[in-house]
Amino acid sequence: MRAALVLAAAAVVLTGCAKAEAPTATANPADAQAQQQVVKSPSAPAGGGCTIAQHGSPKFDLKSAVVGFSQSEKEANPFRIAETKSIKDEAAKLGIANLKVTNAQSQFSKQISDVQQLIAQGAQLLVIAPLNSDGWEPVLQQAAAKKVPIITIDRKINARHCADYVTFIGSDFTEQGRRAADQMIEALGGKGKVAILLGAPGNNVTTERTNGFKEQIAAKAPDIEITFEQTGEFTREKGQQVTEQLIQSNPDIDGIYAENDEMALGAVTALKGAGKKPGDVKIVSIDGTRGAVQGIVDGWIYAVIESNPRFGQLAFATAQKFLDGEPIPEKVIIEDREYDSANAKDSLGQAY
Amino acid sequence: MTLTETTRERAGTLFRQHGALVVLGVLVVAGTLAFDTFLTPANLTNIATASSFLAIIAIGMTFVIISGGIDLSVGSLFVLGGVLAAYGSQYGTLAALALPLAVCGLFGLVQGVIIARTGMAPFIVTLAGLLAARGLMLSLTGEGATTYLVEDETFAAIGQGSPAGIGYPVFVTVAVLAVAAVFLQRTGFGQNVYAIGGNEDAAALMGVPVSRTKIIVYLVSGLLAGLSGALNAARLSSGVTILGIGLELDVIAAVVIGGTLLTGGAGGLTGTIAGALLLGVIQNLINQAGGLTSAFQQVVSGAFLAAVVIVHRFLSRRAAP
Repeated sequence: MRAALVLAAAAVVLTGCAKAEAPTATANPADAQAQQQVVKSPSAPAGGGCTIAQHGSPKFDLKSAVVGFSQSEKEANPFRIAETKSIKDEAAKLGIANLKVTNAQSQFSKQISDVQQLIAQGAQLLVIAPLNSDGWEPVLQQAAAKKVPIITIDRKINARHCADYVTFIGSDFTEQGRRAADQMIEALGGKGKVAILLGAPGNNVTTERTNGFKEQIAAKAPDIEITFEQTGEFTREKGQQVTEQLIQSNPDIDGIYAENDEMALGAVTALKGAGKKPGDVKIVSIDGTRGAVQGIVDGWIYAVIESNPRFGQLAFATAQKFLDGEPIPEKVIIEDREYDSANAKDSLGQAY
Repeated sequence: MTLTETTRERAGTLFRQHGALVVLGVLVVAGTLAFDTFLTPANLTNIATASSFLAIIAIGMTFVIISGGIDLSVGSLFVLGGVLAAYGSQYGTLAALALPLAVCGLFGLVQGVIIARTGMAPFIVTLAGLLAARGLMLSLTGEGATTYLVEDETFAAIGQGSPAGIGYPVFVTVAVLAVAAVFLQRTGFGQNVYAIGGNEDAAALMGVPVSRTKIIVYLVSGLLAGLSGALNAARLSSGVTILGIGLELDVIAAVVIGGTLLTGGAGGLTGTIAGALLLGVIQNLINQAGGLTSAFQQVVSGAFLAAVVIVHRFLSRRAAP
């Protein structure tokens, strides 16, 4: 009987590997430029930026350098697929031959040892998509000892600017939350009951997308009541499961704010299962994946605020500026689009 | 073990005891030949430090599995221990260590008492422990949203200091291993653990204190999971809340790869340490290879685990009566 248990354990280990979704081909090459990230702020580096002299990193040629990229989550959702692809493509375009890529498979301990290993392998520049904002001490110490510049993308590391990391490139998540709230207010006509599918706990994305949404609702539409909040951990299956419970416990819900598209698509499945029609419950989500934009076309999703995962060009351009001696600000905030019923069909090619 | 041990049985025992160590050696040699960034002091100490947290928990799990049980709660106790240590650090070094040890030890003790006194299956009791400990951790941290930072410098140094380039967690692992090995191999308690794992009824008839031994085994497992969590919190300077999911399976894998039989009654600690290092080295080599996705690490670890179990089965099968 215990032998069966071993096999069960082995099966769990084996099936743990991600069932990667095949990345969908880009529809139109002409869109490629339009898809790239655009810097929103600051347009010119403000005073107090981090220069290579302050940081202490030696100058090197990006092309011949060892560059490490640490991805946080399994590449089972479109955001992560697009993000990793963008870094790899841009490195190839710039002729960076020695790009080392690791994936922590959503295990934080693994991400720490992955990055430590990249440092041990001689990485001269680290691009990190952090799984968690805290707990980076061992990495920061080793990177500081070797003066390796760190650029974090999409999530922040809670550490000191310049001493610990050069810059954070990402969206303004609070603003995304506010814009999602605006869409929700419009969808419900300023009145109704709304549920929030929260992202994974412990990182700034969830906190800021939640705060932005709630602030805006409180300020602009006091008649909208947030009656339900539960984490869907940014995954489709958890989003579906939580929504199923939601429909049971709050059948009169008018709107669902999903903090990413995967959870929104899970919510759509749950609503279909409960016999709802498209538009019965207004869904607003954040990310801009192809599946969610298609969801707008199909009438299930009201609006999607984009969170652009194509970090490659901006990350390496920022690294080059840093190497050229320009001061780099603490945050580089990118501009995000939004999709609604008016533009969803035409914009499908730009979604990822 | 009888006097009429066959060659096959002897080969089985040898493989069980030293198989992981041999494969570890082979992988290290292969890694050294294939990648020039593998056998560097920085890389090796990284592997050793990262593996030490798993190894400490696996030492406790070895006792549990030899006694014929299983402890699924260790992953949750690891993250709970880390959060409690970070929380406790605001009251000083002692609190940072004592709080996780007390709470995780209590979890282990209660699980042990329930298993020993009611005869309930360890699988179920510790599964309940897994859920309860994670629930407690989530309730302490606002569903994981609050990360307590380690406030105490002395405590942080325990996780981050590295005399002679080797992190303190490695020294702690060696110390825990030494003490555990003495208890397992040189004391009556150790013999009792093997005896109840081999045949519980026979052990009881021979006067082995079955209940007491089981309770101690789960207590030790809980304590070591808490210790490992606390050390990890010191290393990360914070009580990270997203750790330890599925960690119990990695720990069980390390113990089984290390040659301890999941049916109980046989096994040892050196194999467990080799098993833990083996998982760390596989991960490192797959990162070294670069082109492979890290999903391969799980495939390779899983395949290796399956291979070990199959070889055990094949070599230890007795002739039909």
